[in-house]
Amino acid sequence: MNAVTGVALRAVTAATPTRVARTADYAYLEPDERQRFQKATGIAERRIVAAGQCASDLCLAAAKAALAHLGWDPASVGALILITQTGDQPVPATSIVLQDKLGLPSACMAFDINLGCSSYPYGLAVAGSVMRTLGIARGLLLIGDVSSRLCAEHDKSAWPLFGDAGSATALELDESAPPIHLDLCSDGAGKEAIIIPGGGLASRLPPVDGHIADAIGSDGVPRRADNLVLRGADIFSFAISRVPGSIQRAIASSGRAAQDFDFLLLHQANRMINDTIARKLGFASDRVPTSIEHYGNTSSASIPVTLCANAALFDVPRWVVASGFGVGLSWGSATFQLPAAAVLPCIDTDDVH
Amino acid sequence: MTIDDFIGKFAFAIEVDADTLTPDTRYKELPSWDSLNTLAVIAMADADYGVTVTGRDIEASATVADIWAIVSSKCAAAK
Repeated sequence: MNAVTGVALRAVTAATPTRVARTADYAYLEPDERQRFQKATGIAERRIVAAGQCASDLCLAAAKAALAHLGWDPASVGALILITQTGDQPVPATSIVLQDKLGLPSACMAFDINLGCSSYPYGLAVAGSVMRTLGIARGLLLIGDVSSRLCAEHDKSAWPLFGDAGSATALELDESAPPIHLDLCSDGAGKEAIIIPGGGLASRLPPVDGHIADAIGSDGVPRRADNLVLRGADIFSFAISRVPGSIQRAIASSGRAAQDFDFLLLHQANRMINDTIARKLGFASDRVPTSIEHYGNTSSASIPVTLCANAALFDVPRWVVASGFGVGLSWGSATFQLPAAAVLPCIDTDDVH
Repeated sequence: MTIDDFIGKFAFAIEVDADTLTPDTRYKELPSWDSLNTLAVIAMADADYGVTVTGRDIEASATVADIWAIVSSKCAAAK
């Protein structure tokens, strides 16, 4: 059984900065291109951090909201897992810094995971498994990225897609919780589809100090070595061909039928991708909530952001199948139940901690 | 499954009049062509032909007949 048993989702929160970047205002596309971009991707606007705000700040706000909502004493949290590709610094792991900032006890395990768009199913798998195996009663799964800080503003293949967000999912051991069924996949042969080529040890490039000369990519776009490169067509064909099968496997493993799920939650990369996946799986659009219109592609946080942007749908208990897919290539799907009123509306914050 | 049918679907996907396209049209040189059209062509191949066209396939093709050759060969391979 591909499942984590005895672990319940108690709360899902998400935080975004207040600054809004509208597709209609993007200077590097012509006005008619902006309209076509918005129609094709579904992105009207995104939230972008001001200089200095980090993914950790957004995740911290989301975590505090989850703890407050549940009335959990920080001392009762025994695991903090942060999934991000935009940590505060290369070393140490940002999760450990957050353990201190959240006032969690030193008897709390904390570590980072380096994943992007596939973070939610992976996070549920790792956090749930660790809690269950080690008998950790309560855990926080924090997921977020500030992708705007990775992209060159003039790079129209990447900059107008991404929004910044952080999230928290509070998990608790509960023998009566229904299993979380999982399907998790990887294909490193596709690593070039979304990549930051510089700044790591394999690149043999000098340390990123902001003074590296711009390099022209094969697509003609000048970027710094530590900018993100996104090959949209490759991601698109990957997503529509390989993700539906993952979702079907998770559903099959759950023993439920597709029609037994109230909602399909998809990573928010592109409206056309999600329309295609939903059509293949037979989910009508009213069962596929979105957030891409107002938040863009929030990378690792996209599934919790989509839950929170549609919090009113989750006033009653809901069965959800969720799938994240992208950078890696990495993809996965999870089926789980959300108890009534566990999803809180999105929080706005510009706080830097 | 003919190239004429394909041209109609291709034109619909990239939002141009089918009468303006021939098998020899170098579609990436059309004034309205941009990277979003690439996604629309991939989506059309998936929805109408059940095959996965990649970004590399689009890069490697020049004319409408080229992309039809890729789609039709993938259809044949899938059978």
